Amino acid sequence: MSLAEAEAVEIGIEAPGGLWSEAWRKLIRNPGAITGAVIVGVMVLTALFAPVIAPDDPRFTDLNALNHGQPVGPNAEHWFGIDTLGRDEFSRIVYGTRYSLLIGVVAVMIGLTVGLTLGAIAGYAGGYADSAIMRCMDVMLAIPGFLLAIGIVAMLGPGLGKIMVAVGIVNIPIFARLLRSSILAQKQNDFVLAAKAVGVRGRSVLTAHILPNAISPVIVAATLAMATAIIDVAGLGFLGLGPQDPSTPEWGTMLTDANNYLSSAPFLAIIPGLAIVLSVLGFNLIGDGLRETLDPKLRGR
Amino acid sequence: MLRYVVRRLLLLIPILFGLSILVFFWVRALPGSPISSILGERATPALIQQYKERYGLDEPIYKQYVKQLRAWSHADFGTSIATHRTITYEIKQRFPATVELAVAAMIFAISIGLPLGFFAAKKYGGLFDHASLFISLIGISIPVFFLAIILKYIFAVRLGWLPTVGRQSVLIETEHPTNFYILDAIITRDWAALWDAIRHLILPAIALGSIPLAIITRITRASVLDVQNEDYVRTARAKGLAPITVDQRHVLRNAMLPITTIIGLQVGLLLSGAVLTETVFAWPGIGSWLRDAIFNRDYPVIQGGILFVALIFVLVNLIVDISYAIINPRIRYS
Repeated sequence: MSLAEAEAVEIGIEAPGGLWSEAWRKLIRNPGAITGAVIVGVMVLTALFAPVIAPDDPRFTDLNALNHGQPVGPNAEHWFGIDTLGRDEFSRIVYGTRYSLLIGVVAVMIGLTVGLTLGAIAGYAGGYADSAIMRCMDVMLAIPGFLLAIGIVAMLGPGLGKIMVAVGIVNIPIFARLLRSSILAQKQNDFVLAAKAVGVRGRSVLTAHILPNAISPVIVAATLAMATAIIDVAGLGFLGLGPQDPSTPEWGTMLTDANNYLSSAPFLAIIPGLAIVLSVLGFNLIGDGLRETLDPKLRGR
Repeated sequence: MLRYVVRRLLLLIPILFGLSILVFFWVRALPGSPISSILGERATPALIQQYKERYGLDEPIYKQYVKQLRAWSHADFGTSIATHRTITYEIKQRFPATVELAVAAMIFAISIGLPLGFFAAKKYGGLFDHASLFISLIGISIPVFFLAIILKYIFAVRLGWLPTVGRQSVLIETEHPTNFYILDAIITRDWAALWDAIRHLILPAIALGSIPLAIITRITRASVLDVQNEDYVRTARAKGLAPITVDQRHVLRNAMLPITTIIGLQVGLLLSGAVLTETVFAWPGIGSWLRDAIFNRDYPVIQGGILFVALIFVLVNLIVDISYAIINPRIRYS
């Protein structure tokens, strides 16, 4: 490795390093991002320690606990009340955290891995590969996201895993487009030209120089996509396309049942709904905080 | 301008082509063949063969595709398995309901979001600004169907102010020449029906309009903040123009550019969100139709419905792009 090349590599590593530490310092001073991190942190802990926190088995039905066949509202013994089948609502919410997090992570991961690969190829290779990939992405974007997800679920059949895949696929074109345009912008930069001039190989230019600099809008988008994924999966669950085993404590599915008992037991709709809002809010707050610190257009402010 | 429109139209061709291929193969990738979804699983081989010939399913796949394309170009989307009515007929019945709901949601979102974002930017950093940020944050974090359920519970179930489901009370009997109920009521001068239609529209429109409201507020705020610091705004102020004139002629006019794009992009969101909102309020539009189709495994409906919504979405985006080029000359020449 020549001296110039070594230098170029060093610059490539050092520049994002500076960016990240600066971003981190800003992020921990952003009250919104802190609030979001606390919410998500509590969610993660709840999910991890669900068996310790939850007083009951979320699937355990106790018809004797019902009040003349009706669900019972929140009380000292059952903090969030009892649902229509005599299950402890609090335990179901606690276990539901696991599903919500898992859904968000898996759906975003599917969108990220496929979308980023396609976006990186399109952005870096250009030419026919670029045109072919981006035209396919355009077609996917021509169908409104949630409808595309519905179409995919209709094809795959309902189920928890399948709605995660569907929401993940919907995310693919968004990430691909984002990374491509970000790479195209970075390609114009002088440090890329410098790296190429000193003879750095094509793949290293992409992985060591372009990607680290092009990735920050993707991080922001991925965090916000977690929020959207949780909402979309809950929506598909609400439509009855989610887990087909009705005892699964998935928040969206819990709302479906509750919609039918709205006049007699509104808390069964309000509690899982608020759980969804809170978790989505957490990711949105982190995403907004990240955007404020990472977006080059906002960075100077 | 004409050149821009032509170029934009040419760009549509590969998208429409890809869309038709996607939807065509999507139906063929469904579990079970189209035949078994029409005839059921206990159909005799002879009957299956007869249907295959009738629908051309024994022909090579590219021929089937061309045939399908020809049918689609004549607005022939097939027949619903559940109701035996043509998809085109059903769309004619149901699309006005969805449009009515979407327009009402958009009116709600713009009439509140635009002033909210504008005054938030004017009072940047103040209490009102923080309130608007909080409202828009909640707006994008609350699932449409949850908001719909809450609104229904408070205003329909508890307070009883507004109806819970549907577009019209059963007691109202009126003509429907256009299927846009508000328009119909005005045409027939049936004021009771008009009031009834509006009352049915309020809750679904607010639920569906919540996300566009949040996004429009945010974009308006950001856009006004951007424009406010431009040199030409300072010049306008410096030469002694009244603040309201500066706001109208210099700030709002330039700030509207990104806002119009965002408003156009919300249309897709409204069409998607309609599935959930319409389900909660039993609104007889495209959304609840698609939802029922999924449960009935009514594949022609899902296929036709998704294709139709995608077409509308693409068309609206085209109109948005073109109108954007009309207001912003910089786009045309890039």
